[in-house]
Amino acid sequence: MGKAGLYPIAALAMLVLPIGGAGLAADAPTGGPPGTRAFVVNGLFFSGGGDPNSDSAQSPGSYDVYLSMLPPAERAALSSPGKRGELKKRMWDHFGFRRLSLWPGDFGGRAQVAKLPPDVKLHQKPTPEQVRAIAALNGFPKDRGSLAYQDQTITYSGCTNPYDFPDLAKGYVPYQGKISYGMNLDGKVGPHDFTGPDGKRGIDNQLWRAIGSYKQSQEMNDPAVQEKVMLSARAPMLIEVSGIDDPRNDPDVTVRVLTGADPLVRDGSGKPLARASFTLDPDPSLVNVTHGHIVNGELTTDPVDIRFVFREQIIDNIRTVRGAVIKATFKPDGSLDGGLFGYTTLASYYDMIEHMTQDGADNVGMSCVAIRLAIDKFADGFRDPRTGRFTAISSAMKFRAVPAFVIDSPVQTASRAESAQ
Amino acid sequence: MKLRMSRMALAAAAGAAGLSILLSSALPGKPNAVIPQSSVRRLTEAQYRNVIADVFGSGVEVVGRFEPDLRVDGLTAVGSSAVSITPGGLEQYDAIARHIVAQLFAPENRAKVVGCAPGATDPDGARCAADVVTRIGLRLFRRPLALGEVRAGVAQTLNSAGKLGNFDGGLAATLVGMLTSPNFLFRIDTPARSGPAGTIDGYSKATRLSFLLWNTSPDDTLLAAAASGALDKPEGLRAQVDRMIASPRFADGARAFFDDFLQLSDIDHLSKDALIYPAFSTSVAAAAREQTLRTITDLLIDHKGDYRDLFTTRRFAMTRALGPIYDIPVAKPGWSIYEFPAGDPRAGILAQASLLALHAHPGRTSPTLRGKAIRETLLCQKIPSPPANVNFAVVQDVNNPTLKTTRQRLEAHLDDEECASCHKATDGIGLGLEQFDGAGQFRRTEHDMPIDVTGKFDKAPFDGVANLGQLFHDSPKVSACLVSTVWRYGNGRNIQAEDQPVIDDLNRGFAANGYRFMDLVRTIALDPGFYALPRARPAGAITTASATISKRSAS
Repeated sequence: MGKAGLYPIAALAMLVLPIGGAGLAADAPTGGPPGTRAFVVNGLFFSGGGDPNSDSAQSPGSYDVYLSMLPPAERAALSSPGKRGELKKRMWDHFGFRRLSLWPGDFGGRAQVAKLPPDVKLHQKPTPEQVRAIAALNGFPKDRGSLAYQDQTITYSGCTNPYDFPDLAKGYVPYQGKISYGMNLDGKVGPHDFTGPDGKRGIDNQLWRAIGSYKQSQEMNDPAVQEKVMLSARAPMLIEVSGIDDPRNDPDVTVRVLTGADPLVRDGSGKPLARASFTLDPDPSLVNVTHGHIVNGELTTDPVDIRFVFREQIIDNIRTVRGAVIKATFKPDGSLDGGLFGYTTLASYYDMIEHMTQDGADNVGMSCVAIRLAIDKFADGFRDPRTGRFTAISSAMKFRAVPAFVIDSPVQTASRAESAQ
Repeated sequence: MKLRMSRMALAAAAGAAGLSILLSSALPGKPNAVIPQSSVRRLTEAQYRNVIADVFGSGVEVVGRFEPDLRVDGLTAVGSSAVSITPGGLEQYDAIARHIVAQLFAPENRAKVVGCAPGATDPDGARCAADVVTRIGLRLFRRPLALGEVRAGVAQTLNSAGKLGNFDGGLAATLVGMLTSPNFLFRIDTPARSGPAGTIDGYSKATRLSFLLWNTSPDDTLLAAAASGALDKPEGLRAQVDRMIASPRFADGARAFFDDFLQLSDIDHLSKDALIYPAFSTSVAAAAREQTLRTITDLLIDHKGDYRDLFTTRRFAMTRALGPIYDIPVAKPGWSIYEFPAGDPRAGILAQASLLALHAHPGRTSPTLRGKAIRETLLCQKIPSPPANVNFAVVQDVNNPTLKTTRQRLEAHLDDEECASCHKATDGIGLGLEQFDGAGQFRRTEHDMPIDVTGKFDKAPFDGVANLGQLFHDSPKVSACLVSTVWRYGNGRNIQAEDQPVIDDLNRGFAANGYRFMDLVRTIALDPGFYALPRARPAGAITTASATISKRSAS
């Protein structure tokens, strides 16, 4: 693992040039501010490689694991799709999963309406302390329960407390292929590293090792699926490249990786709408700045820690990728096509798993427990000197992006003015 | 609420008003169509909606399909003098009126509209009905109701109320009748009883003035001025004109004019091939129409600017929906003014998406359509329609491997001398706009070939839309076209030979006042000729028009 070359975000903020943003945007010429190209990412997919039918066994989801625990007759009786509701009830009862709605209204499942401490107000996101207090008041096991479903529900399940349910990791197998999309992040060729599709060795993508054996992961790794699906369209990632003197070859460009506050929509042909304007999320911690270079139309950024929002259906997750590198190609049609490589922090991936919820994982045939145990096992980046444990796992995400315009919010504009002084 | 209304009553009312209903007497596309000077003009859909909002409140919905407005020589304002109401159209007006009236009697509106609540057999019902009929009649008919009209309204209300056992039901039927009355649906001039011969009375003046300046019926102040005779005196008229032009509502009137002048309502029916122009949508089309109107009012009303600057301005009203079309960042989510820098390809309304997209095919540009529209609209010229047997194969073959640009394909098409004569008039201007595709998006190449946007306008060379816009800015034909169009809009008819001295005066004044649109409109509004009764015309002129209609109908 290599940490060299990482820029602290605060230090990079000092390097920010007055690019894009509200100041110039009001009078930008057709095509936008000169020397600046911005893009909106219409999907960010954990990617790996291989054909699951030939080089890796598949891991079972929670329902399949639970079914395997049942006597043959019961298993047969609950296996049909029509029995899914009964199967869920049995499994939830067996493991003692809980789901507690924070406000009136049910999701149609087994949610119960919460008893709330007096200091908790409806429609306000409770603090972690309040979550614990609510959970205790409503009979959750001690110190158990997490917010999920867009902060509307407190749940206790294999996704919130995976180590409480080790049985649900039964049958799990890691991805066993040798080939994977990705990047050599640490500059070394280790025994557990993959080989890239182009033959490059030392590919670091242990997250794919952990999740690549799930059918859902494999489907989302399919380029045809990635072409059609838009992910996190409600809070899309934005990539802004500025200071471009030559779009084919430039030794130094500034790159901002940002989160949009406006949704990405489709155009009349069903593709992501290009050249739309996106106001930034006001959270300044979501402004990630680094430098990069362009060689023969391919952008490569210097490593930087990146925080961005992944907001898709019930998932509302701030994801952190440390030592992140973007390698992407400017396409003739104006789009940007490439990958984001780096070490996804375990904390942010845990958070994503919690947001996925037991229901979500069950519906896509995954096991939060098995994944959580696997990423803890395969983590390979940013060792915590205090505990000696890795805090992040190497990962690779593919993305496609179409041209867009970045509109800095007042927070970013003020930050930019401050950094310019 | 069950509403009843006698269609016979409406027909009788139409007859009583002496309406001369001309069925489709307009001649769209025919040069200098002769529209008989008329004292009767049908409200356009926009005017109807404005009046309802003014009289009953903007919360009252107007739902239904209107008789289509007819565009004659580019203006629905001219067409409004030449249309009547078909039986089917009357049914629509009736349905719309019923829906409106039903809302008026909703609990939240009733007290405001009616203001009294007698029972079905209450002797005070007559007084209540008279009050409502008088008060609302004044606003709807744009004049006080005659005593006989009020009595008839009261009688109808009480009669219906008695049969329905419900005063409100009776009053509603009367209101529906008023909303479907020719006195409401048509602006009918009334000769003045005193004063110079050949002029219209104060209320008719107020109506002409209000629809010219605000595109709606007179407000209480203007009606009061009509009642007091103030509009018959120059200083009284001037006071009202100045008041109305100073009002924010004048921008509504200006929008109505330019919407008609530029034929922007056609955008409502515009569609593009989503695979070729995926960024274009119905919401983009609506925003493009709004953009042009806001750009115009920003320059001409808010900044009291020079009309000619519309062809060179770099200040475009902008909203985020249009950002992808213009390929620019739009910082504010609502409407704001976006100023393109000098040297940018976007300059003037000729470079706005509304006109560019409106005058193009669903999947490709058309220099011919663009050139024709600009010549007819902005230069007031007439371009003949193409013959029926034209072979467009070369022009339409956008994937021709050797004729890669539209200019090349058009030039090949012009090998046909018969086509060339007309295309010479249109294509030069249209080819100057070829750097904007059929959705109004900027492009430098077509099939990897650089797009040539050079040409000549009135023998002056140009290179691109900014140059062309400057030539339009400097062309007397452009400003003269606006003058004549505003006059035609206000008068609801085309210019005849005897009107030419007035037009000449207006042109001189327009130039002398710095080409200020507001001054031009003010001058027309203060012109005594604007309030003249239609002059007696030789019978032959009208006969000629009718004969042409009959001939066309028969063919």
